[in-house]
Amino acid sequence: MVQTKKQKYLFLAFCLIPTFIMFSIFTLYPLFSGLYYSFFEWSGASNTREFVGFENYVKLFTDDIIPATIWHDYFLVVTKVIGIMIMALFIAVALTQLKIKEAPFYRIIFFFPNIMSVVVIGILWMFIYNPSLGLVNSGLEAIGLEEWTRPWLGDEKWALPSLVLPSIWAGIGLFMLLLMGGISNISKSNYEAARIDGASEWQQFWHITLPLIWPQIKISILYIVITTLNGSFIIVQVMTGGGPNNATHVMGSYLYQQAFTQYNFGYGATIGVMILVLSLITVLLLQFLLRREKVEY
Amino acid sequence: MKRTVGEMLVRSGIRLPLILWSLAVLYPIFWMFLGSFKTNAEIYANPWGIPESFSFQNFVSAWTDYSLDSSIFNSLIVTVVGAILCLVLAIPTAYALERVRFKGSHLLFTLYISAMMIPMVLGWIPLFFLLAQFNLLDNIFGLSIVYAISQLPFTIFVLTSFMGTIPKSLEESAAMDGMSPYGILWKIVAPLTTSGIMTVTIMNAIQFWNEYFMALIFLQSEGNYTLALAIDFISNEAQYTNAWGVLFASLVIAIVPVIILYSIFQRRIAQGMTEGALKG
Repeated sequence: MVQTKKQKYLFLAFCLIPTFIMFSIFTLYPLFSGLYYSFFEWSGASNTREFVGFENYVKLFTDDIIPATIWHDYFLVVTKVIGIMIMALFIAVALTQLKIKEAPFYRIIFFFPNIMSVVVIGILWMFIYNPSLGLVNSGLEAIGLEEWTRPWLGDEKWALPSLVLPSIWAGIGLFMLLLMGGISNISKSNYEAARIDGASEWQQFWHITLPLIWPQIKISILYIVITTLNGSFIIVQVMTGGGPNNATHVMGSYLYQQAFTQYNFGYGATIGVMILVLSLITVLLLQFLLRREKVEY
Repeated sequence: MKRTVGEMLVRSGIRLPLILWSLAVLYPIFWMFLGSFKTNAEIYANPWGIPESFSFQNFVSAWTDYSLDSSIFNSLIVTVVGAILCLVLAIPTAYALERVRFKGSHLLFTLYISAMMIPMVLGWIPLFFLLAQFNLLDNIFGLSIVYAISQLPFTIFVLTSFMGTIPKSLEESAAMDGMSPYGILWKIVAPLTTSGIMTVTIMNAIQFWNEYFMALIFLQSEGNYTLALAIDFISNEAQYTNAWGVLFASLVIAIVPVIILYSIFQRRIAQGMTEGALKG
């Protein structure tokens, strides 16, 4: 190309610098600054910021609610991974392997909740769980299981498990598509060879489909874990606000409560650092656990 | 090929869960639409059935009593400004990262991509005070900027992969003809990336239209509420006023634009999201 070095660098600067400045101001600076805030006690007014060293971290380790919030987050992670992966895998196999005429219809329907607003999903499900009007309790009454009815989201024991179903409901579609993409890339000859050898459908699934879509399975699990740890507080905030009696607080919703409703910004930032550290450790650990020789036939 | 009875049974056995799950997805959404036409009395008497008569009273009430019109307007502004700003910032960077060779390009790309995996909740506390300093707190334009930057890594990622498919010879011959790199970027590369730009913009727009938590933190006065916040507000109030019909009407208003976009761009949206996840 006919251009001098200087022109090239000017063009690069034009392309990269404004974007990078904005990115630094609104993403990088807040992250590092959050780390810095975690060493202060601060109620938001500028003259009251007080350096307290590791005091917030000491508080973090002695706060009774913190272990509960971590447990709740990982409870959601594990139940969501299991629920979504089993259902998405089943649907993906059914829609690709068995020649179902209306497969595109299912694909379009199942994916739709993935692009619904969490507010809409949360409120819809609050209704489904509504003690007097809701679908769950009316359904249980209709089939004669009246003793099972309960105020699902108001029950300390059942509120957290009740959040799993809406998350699975809203999450399946994306992973179904990811897995379908993987399955449709598997060459037909693999299955033909297996059939000639007399392998049953189950054997084909375990020995061909599953190993060959392992990369997609791994990505899906990682993605569910990351999005849950980084975003589970949104549905919690909409549906229960962390209640009843902190029974559904996750790390993020507790951060929100500490920082933005009780104005403990320093402590809130400390919780944020914990979220960051835990999610990084979890992702690294998972990548190690899920590593597996790449299979090629 | 002839099908055995056993095979047919397996087939219908597999269809059943598919049909049940379709009902589980569709019925609540369908029922939300029905509820928006019911009076409160009817919602109590017959929560899950078909309304006796279709009334638009809930929509009128949402519009006038809960000033949903201004929330819709705010959501529109945030969506449009956020999506445009995101594109303006992402297109040049994506092009430079994909096509111009320079030291550190790989590092910069990695930096943007890894930002997709970092939990931003820690950053929201300082961002709150930063926006206050810039007088952008409780300001829908401030929120638009925050939205645009939050989707920047994803947008850059999708655009670079689309730009990678444009043949280099087009740019080279344009450069031969004396076109400046700026001209090549805006007159050749950008138009050829239209498909990628559309995909990513539709997804960003849906994201911004739906977003709730950042709006909750960075907006405060009711006049600035986006639709998601207004709905959350009506929902909290409905616990006491039992104005469920109005709540359903506002949910319908929030979801209809998404349904319309989805029915037109279903393939694009699905493709964009899976690609984002594959890299993320």
